[in-house]
Amino acid sequence: MTSSSKHPFHPALLTWPALASAGLLALSGCSVANSDGDPGNASTVRVVLGQEPPTLEACESNLTSTGVVVRSNVTEPLIERNPQTGELEPKLATEWEATSDTEWTLKLREGVTFQDGSPFNAEAAAFTIDRAVNSKLGCNVEGYVFGDADLVVAAVDATTLTVTTPEPDPILPLRLSFLEVVPPSTSTTEKVREPIGTGPYKIEKWDAGQKISLASWDGYWGDKPAYAKAEYQWRSESSVRAAMVTSGEADVAMGLSPDDNMGDLGIDYPNNETVALRLDANEAPLNDIRVRQAINFAIDKEGIVNSLYQGKHQVAAQLVPEGIVGHNPELKGWAFDLDKAKELVSQAKADGVDTSAQISLVVRSAQFPKITELAQVLQEQLSQAGLNVKLKMLETSQHLTYQVRPFAADEGAVALMTQHGNQAGDAAFTVDQYMLSTGAQSYFGTPEFDAMIKKADAASGDARKKDFEEIFAYQNDKVVQFAHISHQTGIIGKAKSVNYTPNSSSGDELRVSEMTPAS
Amino acid sequence: MLIYLRKRILSSALPLVVVIVGVFALARMTGNPASLYLPLNATQQMRDEFTARNGFDQPLLVQMADYFGGVLRLDFGQSLRTGQDAAAMALRAFPATLQLAATTMVLAVLLALVVGCWAALKPNGIADRISSFVSMAAASIPDFWLAIVGIWVFAISLGWLPTSGVSGASAWVLPIATLLLRPFGVLVQIVRGSMVSALSEPYIKLARSRGAGELRVVTHHALRNAAAPALTVAGDLTVGLVNGAVVVETIFGWPGIGKLMIDSILQRDFAVLQAAVLLTAVAIFALNILIDMGYALLDARVRPVTARA
Amino acid sequence: MNSPLTEPAANQLASADHPGTGKNNDKREGKLSLFRLLLKDRFATVSAVLLVLIGLTALIGPALMGDLATKQNLLFANKAPFSFAYGWEYVLGSDSLGRSMLARLVVASRTTFSVALPAVAVALVIGSLWGVWAGYHRGWRENVSMRIADVIMSFPSLLLAVVVLYVFSPSAGNIVLILALTRIPIYLRTARAESAELQSRTFVDAARTFGARPNAIIGRHVIPVVLPTLLTLATLEFCYVMLAESSLSFLGIGIQPPDVSWGLMVSQGRQYLQTAWWLSIFPGVAIVVTTIAANVLAAWLRIATDPAQRWRLSLPRKRMIARIPVKEAKP
Repeated sequence: MTSSSKHPFHPALLTWPALASAGLLALSGCSVANSDGDPGNASTVRVVLGQEPPTLEACESNLTSTGVVVRSNVTEPLIERNPQTGELEPKLATEWEATSDTEWTLKLREGVTFQDGSPFNAEAAAFTIDRAVNSKLGCNVEGYVFGDADLVVAAVDATTLTVTTPEPDPILPLRLSFLEVVPPSTSTTEKVREPIGTGPYKIEKWDAGQKISLASWDGYWGDKPAYAKAEYQWRSESSVRAAMVTSGEADVAMGLSPDDNMGDLGIDYPNNETVALRLDANEAPLNDIRVRQAINFAIDKEGIVNSLYQGKHQVAAQLVPEGIVGHNPELKGWAFDLDKAKELVSQAKADGVDTSAQISLVVRSAQFPKITELAQVLQEQLSQAGLNVKLKMLETSQHLTYQVRPFAADEGAVALMTQHGNQAGDAAFTVDQYMLSTGAQSYFGTPEFDAMIKKADAASGDARKKDFEEIFAYQNDKVVQFAHISHQTGIIGKAKSVNYTPNSSSGDELRVSEMTPAS
Repeated sequence: MLIYLRKRILSSALPLVVVIVGVFALARMTGNPASLYLPLNATQQMRDEFTARNGFDQPLLVQMADYFGGVLRLDFGQSLRTGQDAAAMALRAFPATLQLAATTMVLAVLLALVVGCWAALKPNGIADRISSFVSMAAASIPDFWLAIVGIWVFAISLGWLPTSGVSGASAWVLPIATLLLRPFGVLVQIVRGSMVSALSEPYIKLARSRGAGELRVVTHHALRNAAAPALTVAGDLTVGLVNGAVVVETIFGWPGIGKLMIDSILQRDFAVLQAAVLLTAVAIFALNILIDMGYALLDARVRPVTARA
Repeated sequence: MNSPLTEPAANQLASADHPGTGKNNDKREGKLSLFRLLLKDRFATVSAVLLVLIGLTALIGPALMGDLATKQNLLFANKAPFSFAYGWEYVLGSDSLGRSMLARLVVASRTTFSVALPAVAVALVIGSLWGVWAGYHRGWRENVSMRIADVIMSFPSLLLAVVVLYVFSPSAGNIVLILALTRIPIYLRTARAESAELQSRTFVDAARTFGARPNAIIGRHVIPVVLPTLLTLATLEFCYVMLAESSLSFLGIGIQPPDVSWGLMVSQGRQYLQTAWWLSIFPGVAIVVTTIAANVLAAWLRIATDPAQRWRLSLPRKRMIARIPVKEAKP
């Protein structure tokens, strides 16, 4: 078994596989890697998202992954909500007013055309509403914003539209801001993956699995955007998205984690998301309000915010952050008081509540950065208060069986971690779902509380604001279905070559027209 | 050979059906996808409509019969998530995975042959010790970890390679390097082992005594005999890669079949999952047949050499 | 682990012999000399010591650590390792929740082994017995078995994982079940090939002529010969299973917190690579060290104890090729 050979290999042995692999590389280069790696072209802004949009269908644009590309880039709504001020602003409709209890009249912008050359008019607006709300398409926006209510729409003349609701609806204009307008040539029987809109960009190419390119459209009615093109890619690891900005492969990266260590390339912005535990009061031991209060006292919200999230989040006292109509600025987060929590638990125990019954802490894996860590902290802190907590990390689909009605049966007491984002800017979108005793994401309520909510829903102006503020205070005092944890802060990565200031809706609609090249 | 081929293909048809039936049934055990595709506050009526529209309210056997009826007409159903044709989505993703797998395996086999032979020339020598240590370490590093460290070092710190994506040849380097490690590590050990045995066989000594050069001994006599075990293992490793390099595809944004499969599982996109599984299963069966045929050839070539010994 | 679970590892190692060192072991030697033999090989000695240490850690370590592995201290998160300033508990640093890395590694070792060992053992026992049986009897039993192996290998094991985790709970036991099931074909195919080759050999023929029942022949003559190969394969698989478990964690369907395994630690630590490298490096090193030690020792043990070694060395090479489809390939 000895050998002193210096050249043990026949060269030919190596050549053919080497050729084969070179050939393979070339072959693959043709079919997969045909997309030219766009070097940081100044006229193109490159965005990297967390996932590929399932579709760009306009009537699904309330879905974050679709909306972030489509909304205000390809298509536009009639009315737009300014995320900074919360005010509604004209877009394709120039003015609107309630002409009766149940009827709204909108004046539409003139001189607007769709990217296919067809004119935008009342007929197109009426078509859009009918298609999204009254059709059998099963649009996501229909359920999300309008529920079961069918709307009656009529084009009075080319620029006037009336919308009639079955019940008085003081926030109909806000609801309409979720509808992205499409031309009447759009299919009413099938969803359309690549819609035509009136926006500053049109869809140029969608390389499924790889990239979406938008190109600015010359016929846009408004100002021409600074970037001629926008390119979207997607990577599911946030560290990879961050790396792409650091290495100059992307200009904007969405949804980063504080540990991606972006330095001054990372920009924080309030993303309107609130994290809370939702407590099921139908099961022991959570059926006792003292136990639910104890949970609130047992959570060290300051510690979580400062340690896990480097002080970037804010301790929450209610489900909606500042800036949402109905946010109650008076409310302060529950104090962290472990002794008080223990005392409340032992009081409940003394009154015969089975405080040793297991509470399932139900958490969705990878819902937001560091959720696993947060879940373990909560489990530990609730256990210290004397409760028997079991952590259940679930994937999205399983988590949904706990999150929405009909709730999974025979599960015992559940404390569900929920991340709620109110995209609409009005507390009604939160309260109706999370606090009404029949709400899709509400475990329980009281008749009195339901009445307060109904009253607030129908109110408008300052009365509406005040009613909702009272609702949030009442939940913390009398109902305690929620243990609020924090209002989150999002992080986007942004290359130095781009000027852009993210706002609370950047995660849902990323307006490329607001980006400019830094000189 | 043709008769054998026909027999193999026929005997593979039933397992294919079993795989699809299994996937079909298991997928439906993961629950109704209604809540994933409807708004959170969807009413019961909307849920019922969704369920009926997609046929999920039918008994499992009826759904399955419908599906197989469709498959016979080459209709593999529509994606719930994207509304596209499920078969088209699977076919689009498959080449990306296949190219990655093929390139990786060719390189892994080549490298393993070189390193394995080098190690086998002096068993327990320095080269042997180093290569077996390196190859064992290579085979035991978690690939997602390696991928992220690779991005960090080569894309960010050094700036030599792009972080991810599929644009340009340089984007292939990191995914292939990550995928390469385990097959390489395993194959080195196989090649080394069989080369050590082969080189100690009497016929090798005979060849040497007849004055054959060391080069000729290694390439013509020993390597040919050592090739079969390497072929088995390489074939099985390739099957693994074809079944989807999920982790690598996920991290590098590689639009392959593994990523498609895990997405469609998590999104309960049954039609796409079934199409993807069917496609990979067919490919794996084909690969297995090729491997067995490779054996038959190798077997025929091996025998005269041993007979001479 | 690009392809969690279904990737077949080295599905046969029949020929991974060490004739160089093997010759020394040809003489019959007692147990004592086996130990002395071990001491002669430095690498094997170090590996054995390491494995004993790791095994002891997994066995009694968690009890010694008490609640140290779960005790959180948010103000003490991500402290760097190799400093005695905070006491011996934090010599390997603290994790993102201020828990002792040392204690977590120790506790994780038990979970890791209690997943990997049973998974390997179950797959080994079922796959080997089935494969030997199928290979011995040939015919339809062999064909059906091989097609079943094909089915399992082309089945998306990720789906299996999701289903099991969905319908049952993501416990260590269920993960063992999935990993074992998906790895059975590896042993099945190897054992089938070896046994098919053996059943035509003279000593098996002789046993048959003397009227021994098939099960007795399998147990007495076939299994002892096939076992060393399968055990070597199992050592490789041990490494594979640890990695597969880690990949499942990466995809969010593996061991779930608050349980902890090395694989889960690597997976969870990856997001801190830039801020706290030790969170994923240490458990990764633990996996690599364990694997290498197990492989080195297994390679050595195989040569040192295998009575079939001489028998093998005297065989023509081609007999060693495990998966030659002896029958199938020649229509």
